[in-house]
Amino acid sequence: MRALVAFLGPRLFRALVALWLVSTVVFVVMRLSGDPVPLLLPPDAPRSEYARVARELGLDQPLPVQYAVFLANVLRGDFGRSIHFREPAWRVVTGYLPATAQLGLTAFGVALLVAVPIGLLSAVNRNSPLDHAAMGLALIGQSAPTFFLGILFILVFSLQAGWFPTSGRGSWQHLVLPAATLGAFAMASIARLTRSAVLEVLRQDYVRTARAKGLPELGVVLKHTLKNASLPVVTITALQFGTLLGGAVVTETVFAWPGVGRLAIQSIYNRDYPVVQCTVFVSALLFIVVNFAVDILYGLLDPRVRPR
Amino acid sequence: MSRLTRRELLKSAATLGAAAAIGPALGAPAQAQTTQKRELVIAQGGDIATFDPHMSTSANEIRVSFNIFDNLISRYPDGKLHPGLATEWKLQGQTTWAFKLRTGVKFHNGDPFSSADVKYSIERTWDPALKTRVNTVLSTIDRVEAPDATTVLMHTKKPDPLLPARLAFYAGQILPEKYAKSAGPDAFNQKPVGTGPVRFVSWTKDDRAVLEANPDYWGGKIDVDRVIFRPIPETAPRIAALLKGEVDMITALPPDHGERVSGSPTTRMAGALYAGLYVLAVNSKRPPLDNPLVKQALSLAIDREIIVKELWRGRGIVPNGPIAKGDNHFDTGLPPLKYDPKEARERLKKAGYKGEEVVIETTVGYTANDKPMSEAIQGMWRDAGINAKVEVVEYSVRAQKNRDKSFKGLWWSDPTSTLSDPDGMMWRLLSPGGPQDYWRHPKFDELGEAARFSIDEKFRGQAYKEMTAIFLEHFPWIPVVQPYEDYGLQKYVEFTPNPNQQIELRRFNFKLRRA
Repeated sequence: MRALVAFLGPRLFRALVALWLVSTVVFVVMRLSGDPVPLLLPPDAPRSEYARVARELGLDQPLPVQYAVFLANVLRGDFGRSIHFREPAWRVVTGYLPATAQLGLTAFGVALLVAVPIGLLSAVNRNSPLDHAAMGLALIGQSAPTFFLGILFILVFSLQAGWFPTSGRGSWQHLVLPAATLGAFAMASIARLTRSAVLEVLRQDYVRTARAKGLPELGVVLKHTLKNASLPVVTITALQFGTLLGGAVVTETVFAWPGVGRLAIQSIYNRDYPVVQCTVFVSALLFIVVNFAVDILYGLLDPRVRPR
Repeated sequence: MSRLTRRELLKSAATLGAAAAIGPALGAPAQAQTTQKRELVIAQGGDIATFDPHMSTSANEIRVSFNIFDNLISRYPDGKLHPGLATEWKLQGQTTWAFKLRTGVKFHNGDPFSSADVKYSIERTWDPALKTRVNTVLSTIDRVEAPDATTVLMHTKKPDPLLPARLAFYAGQILPEKYAKSAGPDAFNQKPVGTGPVRFVSWTKDDRAVLEANPDYWGGKIDVDRVIFRPIPETAPRIAALLKGEVDMITALPPDHGERVSGSPTTRMAGALYAGLYVLAVNSKRPPLDNPLVKQALSLAIDREIIVKELWRGRGIVPNGPIAKGDNHFDTGLPPLKYDPKEARERLKKAGYKGEEVVIETTVGYTANDKPMSEAIQGMWRDAGINAKVEVVEYSVRAQKNRDKSFKGLWWSDPTSTLSDPDGMMWRLLSPGGPQDYWRHPKFDELGEAARFSIDEKFRGQAYKEMTAIFLEHFPWIPVVQPYEDYGLQKYVEFTPNPNQQIELRRFNFKLRRA
């Protein structure tokens, strides 16, 4: 038990510090970059109106006071009322969360399911046409900007081929193009990393030993190689989760997907502080939770980092 | 590459894609001209945030609220005022407007409509407890009386010739008193009730607003059973959704994409000349812009024909002054604003201009073409010997500068003519204490004030003529273009766009062509 606390304690602490830092940075940046009140009022609104709205939003208080109020409220799970939607920011953000979760998890799952086997096959058949084709595609996937890929997919698979709807959320068909777009980058980098990690492991003595003792090749690859190659893959996968959250902003905008990423963009335009803060907080929380989970997964995968 | 914004990249990607997408391969043209659909899907560039008509003035929202609610008076796409919930109105004496109300009208929840609802709705706009976004629109009204169920009297503080026009735009939508009072503003917003041709069914934020036809609408049930408003923020996917037939109508069709829509066998483009102007507003307090000669030179040095032709693909006209074409008192005899770079140089010389910096603070996409027009104009001004500079500012920075009146020189403004009258545009914005009060001229002010409160249209016409002359000497705005607002439509949609940005779905203006 003590070992477990020693293992988890510092990681948990670091996660909380990260969360606090993220919320503070967002708080400061949002306030430095513009005032929401003029956006809320008609251009001919009198000064008294301005003062009234500012007071109502608590923006007439000095910044440190606003910050203290903000932190105290966050601890209570209260992110304030959305300036734009006029309802609690938390309710707004959680309303958008299922759409993003659906899109993100699908993209993530597809990326993993496609990328790991491809990376593995490429490594095992190194320098074969299959390897070249796969790595060529991965290069495109990694370098093509999300919005370009998204619009390209719409034009080709939706408008020309007519297989999928152009945008919006609804049936599983609606999910295909945005998930492919969003997953492309993660897919490409996971495939490339899997390939190099597997190649690395294939050169190890224990693989030669395994082969020498006459194990079937499939067993060598799956049991001895893949498991040992999985550590860097797990790391990059967790980090890719962040890229995925960032990519959601663009993907959701291109595909008119009603998710948190689009909400974030619009709330920034609208200077809707409470919603932006809540969105960033939730995203950071997700990212931190995933990476925390990966830390624990390490322990399961690699006895060397396991608490003793 | 790194200096390109994402939006610009998106645009170029879309153009690239447009070249690749083979238009004629789409759909079956013979069938596309008619439809059996009972549902209309409209894609806008942005989502709605509120259904309460008194809580918004944004185009995306009024397109919905003007169909859930009725006004006493309605401005048709032809620009004229027609009966709405009021069947007749007339001025009694100088300051009393009398309205006769339509009988037998019911709200979506079954409540009968009466004069009490009108009185309540008008007073609601300025109710301090509600903090509406339209609290100044009807402020010329002193009090509202409802002597009987079908009569409303509105007493204005001074003579107000434009009251019917005010009642036809935002702030003028009529709510059911009983329900609105008992539900409170939040619940009302979640389940809005009006008398309009469609009633509210559901709303999923950033996904869709679902409305259904009001079967008992006094103007006749509209031509479909359901209307769905969807937000599709990016231009290329919005157009793709139209070309593929997923939506029936799209708003905010940029001029450089018009050909894709009109080139397809199933879709068409429809536009209305915007009820307003795109102008470079001027901070006339900042030298050298305090000198009228310099501002005249700025105007003379702009080749507006080229801007309309190249940047708007011909989808716009060159203005001739501060009054938009289509408005009351638009002077058809006045020639379009002149391009004369030689004369511009002369006036600069006369003004003693010594190369002081002239800054355009532009947004990117706040109004269509704002940044490209800024860059084009910068080039034209430089050719005329003006030290012009373009600075890009963000929306909220623009809003803040607007409030603080701290613009460095010129900035884009797209004043909407809310009343189809110079009073609702030029005078609303440029009057003393108005949002763009950077320049004063005693005669201009005197005429503007007198025209606002005069019920003599002949006098008003003369006043606006004189004001235009003063305007064209001093240029508190430099009008650049009056563009068309374009929509993409399936060919089976029969619909005329409204210059004031509302989408009119009532029977007289909207129909699907059936086989």
